[in-house]
Amino acid sequence: MSRVQNTLIESVRKVVGWVPERWLPGGTPDPLIGRHGAVGTQLAQLDGPQKVRGAARFAAEVPLEGLCYAALVNSPVTRGRITRLDTAAAEAAPGVLLVLTYRNMPRLGLVPLMGVTNLGAVGNSALPILQDDQIRYNGQVMALVLAETQQQADHAARLIDLSVDTAPALSDFQAAKPEARTPASILVERNEQSAGDAEAALRQAAFSTDATYTTPGHNHAAIELHGVTAHWTGNRLVLHDATQAVAPTAAALAKLFGLRREDVRVLSPFVGGGFGAKGFWDHQVLAVAAARMVDRPVRLMLSREAVFRMVGGRSPTEQRVAIGADAEGRFTALIHTGYSVMPPYSASPEQYTLGTRSLYRAQSYRFGQKHLDLDIVPNTFMRAPGESVGSFAVESAVDELAHAMDIDPVELRLRNEPETHPLTGTPFSQRALATAWRQGADRFGWDARSTMPRARRDGEWLLGMGCAAGNFPYVRMPSGALRIRLTRDGQATLSTSAQDMGMGTATVQTQHAADRLGLPLDAITFEMGDSDLPAAPVAGGSSQTVSIAAAIAAAASKLTVELLRLAGNASPLAGLRAGEVRLAEGGLVCIEDPTRRETYGDILTRAGRDEISVTETGAPPLEIFKYAMLSHSANFCEVRVSDVTGELRVTRLLGVFDVGTILNPRMAVSQLRGGMIMGLGMALSEEVLFDERSGRIMNPGLADYHIPAHLDVPEIDVTWTGIPDPRSPLGARGIGEIGITGVAAAIANAVFNATGKRLRDLPLTLDRLIGAEGA
Amino acid sequence: MTDFLRPATVEDALALMAAGGVVPLAGGTDLYPATQRRALPGLVLDVTGLPGLCGITTGPAGLRIGAATTWTALARATLPPALAALQQAAVEVGGIQIQNAGTIGGNLCNASPAADGVPPLLVLDTEVELVGHRGIRRLPLSQFLTGPRQTARQADELLTALHIPASALSGQSHFRKLGARAYLVISIAMVAVRLDLQAGRISHAALAVGACSATACRLPQVESALTGAPAAEAPALIRDADVAAALSPLDDLRATAAYRSGAAAELLRRSVATLCQPVPA
Ligand SMILES: Cc1cc2nc3c(=O)[nH]c(=O)nc-3n(C[C@H](O)[C@H](O)[C@H](O)COP(=O)(O)OP(=O)(O)OC[C@H]3O[C@@H](n4cnc5c(N)ncnc54)[C@H](O)[C@@H]3O)c2cc1C
Repeated sequence: MSRVQNTLIESVRKVVGWVPERWLPGGTPDPLIGRHGAVGTQLAQLDGPQKVRGAARFAAEVPLEGLCYAALVNSPVTRGRITRLDTAAAEAAPGVLLVLTYRNMPRLGLVPLMGVTNLGAVGNSALPILQDDQIRYNGQVMALVLAETQQQADHAARLIDLSVDTAPALSDFQAAKPEARTPASILVERNEQSAGDAEAALRQAAFSTDATYTTPGHNHAAIELHGVTAHWTGNRLVLHDATQAVAPTAAALAKLFGLRREDVRVLSPFVGGGFGAKGFWDHQVLAVAAARMVDRPVRLMLSREAVFRMVGGRSPTEQRVAIGADAEGRFTALIHTGYSVMPPYSASPEQYTLGTRSLYRAQSYRFGQKHLDLDIVPNTFMRAPGESVGSFAVESAVDELAHAMDIDPVELRLRNEPETHPLTGTPFSQRALATAWRQGADRFGWDARSTMPRARRDGEWLLGMGCAAGNFPYVRMPSGALRIRLTRDGQATLSTSAQDMGMGTATVQTQHAADRLGLPLDAITFEMGDSDLPAAPVAGGSSQTVSIAAAIAAAASKLTVELLRLAGNASPLAGLRAGEVRLAEGGLVCIEDPTRRETYGDILTRAGRDEISVTETGAPPLEIFKYAMLSHSANFCEVRVSDVTGELRVTRLLGVFDVGTILNPRMAVSQLRGGMIMGLGMALSEEVLFDERSGRIMNPGLADYHIPAHLDVPEIDVTWTGIPDPRSPLGARGIGEIGITGVAAAIANAVFNATGKRLRDLPLTLDRLIGAEGA
Repeated sequence: MTDFLRPATVEDALALMAAGGVVPLAGGTDLYPATQRRALPGLVLDVTGLPGLCGITTGPAGLRIGAATTWTALARATLPPALAALQQAAVEVGGIQIQNAGTIGGNLCNASPAADGVPPLLVLDTEVELVGHRGIRRLPLSQFLTGPRQTARQADELLTALHIPASALSGQSHFRKLGARAYLVISIAMVAVRLDLQAGRISHAALAVGACSATACRLPQVESALTGAPAAEAPALIRDADVAAALSPLDDLRATAAYRSGAAAELLRRSVATLCQPVPA
């Protein structure tokens, strides 16, 4: 987050800008783009049958001889010091093997925070884990109890007698604002950026809007709770984990416990939902330490409440968006600033202004975020951190301006589409948001919208339509390694430590590998979720698909070179170089003269080999500095609002996505629709109720923290432009997070169209609709 | 487990309760979440095995509902139209799992201001039956509920049954609940209305509102305004100001006070309108 980082990244950008295109990854488009092969088909998830039969084994289900069970005691106060921690009754309770507190916990260092300057790091919290008597947030672990059964552990945990000397805590968002910090950078971007005098331009603008938007905290609620099974044999550790970061977790544990990296194995073949939550938190460290102390395997699964208290969520935000426009609706000023919570010990800056920076062309800009230090469980990444809540603010503001100017909100957006990145002038690798708008307006029946609010009704129900854009950057992680092992019978096994949180990574990469290697689908085995495999980076930032794709492409190139070497002079391929052949139909084929070809089996047989194996790492993701690479969406929404009670029902949603090549339509629809449902929850009901006096979360469970239930979810239509990105592997960009962006704004805008009431605070509840002033 | 008691007779149950420190447990759907823990603390006495606590019986004096009767059992029973409101409430308490486990007695003893069972029982002039080692006593539901999460039940007493007098079994009733979403939600306001109609006029009206005051309550002033009125004009006779005067709602996270009392009046108008609709031939 430093100034040094800004300088460094800006110089990389500059240098990469000078480098000729063809030298960079993506400079020559991936030859698989546009090929009709296994990629693009509706292959069902390969592990579907296993999951349906209950045969897929999750981290907290692994059976082990001598397994014992852990329960945790969490702090009921926010700040203070433990004055008394009497564990005698717990230790004497039936079945108890160990009570772990700061007194007997092994002394461990801090876990390095993940971040752009330390890509290998995986920590979500830089606070000490059971190392001293200090309480730093409400819910912090005070003790772990280990017993023969889960029930005994839970029972004994209740017998621990804890007294605390309470200290004043920072828990009030508004009160913390005067002390806000201004970080130098937000992820890879310089934080404060401006062009021209945006405030002056705003004052002089023919039309303008300037308002404050707030979003509450959100908590993670993946169906699978965080769970681990930890197992030591001598100095070797095996951790069955539910994680989005298999290899980085193994590396972090090795470092923390002073082990050799090869002596730590993290296994995570299935994860029941990640969304940013399944990172490295205190529970892994506690289970590993406890297992070592009792020399038995340990199972630790968090309760739903503990997930709310010990695994951070999305920060609340307070954002200002101001837009000035000339008489034609061209933006003359665009300002997006605000506050969110990010204590120095957390890793996620909730980058709500980043999406806005590339969304529209304007004559002047001002962007910047401020961080508040509160004593909270470290806030963390949650599906589209930043863009999800940032798009609510900016896309509500655009709607406000459109209404003030009496311009159709789609039209206003089209008038401000940028040609190149608005701040840097960098060309977009591919951007067809305008196409998405037109496609969506047509498909949704946008014509039926009345420009006047409160104009359409059905009895007491007011009807309205709204729209909003969403965007999300393309990210490809550096240094993902992958191995291809090809056997004489024409079977290929691809191996990487990467992680599948349910989205279908193994399925899509099997499709990809079939095309890349010229083999049928059933000749491919894709292995992942094991830190003993070549190390893949964390699955985050919607980056995993393209990161693995780049590694497969790199490994396939290396394989080509090795195969040509093995083929030797007796082969029909003799004398050809790697660039002159392609992998097709189970072997190598000369591009110029396709009659010159040989199968993998024949090459290996002649060379007297059973198999060939190569490991390679994807090229560094320099394309992200040469081009502005982002996905976009055009969201449309229809609502009904009772004019009497304010009850709000979303009746229709449409998302049109411009996200590059769709690798598997069936899974893409599900991924994008899932994101939109999360956006619906954000708009209608999700809200962490935080007691600002005590610093305690008041609704730590699904009975009070309302995620959408089936009956809340309307018909959701999902479609896409389908235009490949010429600069990315397979022409794809990630699609894991874009779905949530823009949805809340589309709903709020539809509510305005229905009722004439502008709600700038989420969630959009019925009393706010009846109470709110008409705009 | 030693801290779980499941007596087979009411006498045994009372003897255990007399020792003190025993918490009755029915469906556990209030008790368990309220502990905020994985296990229930202290001595727990399961009332669902007690004879006479489950089920609905009719007699000359009226109707008796066992305290441990579940919402599902209530919803599925064949009951007079005066209990329609109670049955409509039964299918809106939580989801199916909650309705299968949760009981009407638990709903009353827990005494949440937002308990959906209370308004439908108030319009039925319900009396509760409490049994303790000192004997049996009966009191009107409105006196049983003394405040938010407070009842007239002594620590050593059990709620055994609800009695609905025969006089209150006339007419038809209706229930409406309003929350921040369509289903699976805590009420912001809910109402029950029971009307007797004779020759197109209201001969008797009972109206109750929940979640808008410390305990749910009847609205005598609105009731008398309706009595004698022609059915077609009835909804318009429910005035916001009269409803507001009878309530004392809170501003809280679910809604503002003003929103609540306005919503309650609207829900009453809708329920009255539903009941006053001419029945299609
Ligand atoms: C997800 C969820 C959704 C819910 N939704 C709703 C809703 O929509 N509307 C609503 O009204 N409620 C709702 N509830 C609350 C609850 O389900 C109901 O109040 C239910 O009727 C409680 O009944 P129970 O049998 O489970 O009570 P329990 O939890 O077993 O007991 C509740 C209280 O009553 C006492 N008690 C129980 N029986 C007796 C007895 N016979 N004698 C003396 N004391 C007794 C207990 O000691 C305890 O204090 C919900 C709860 C959950 C968890």
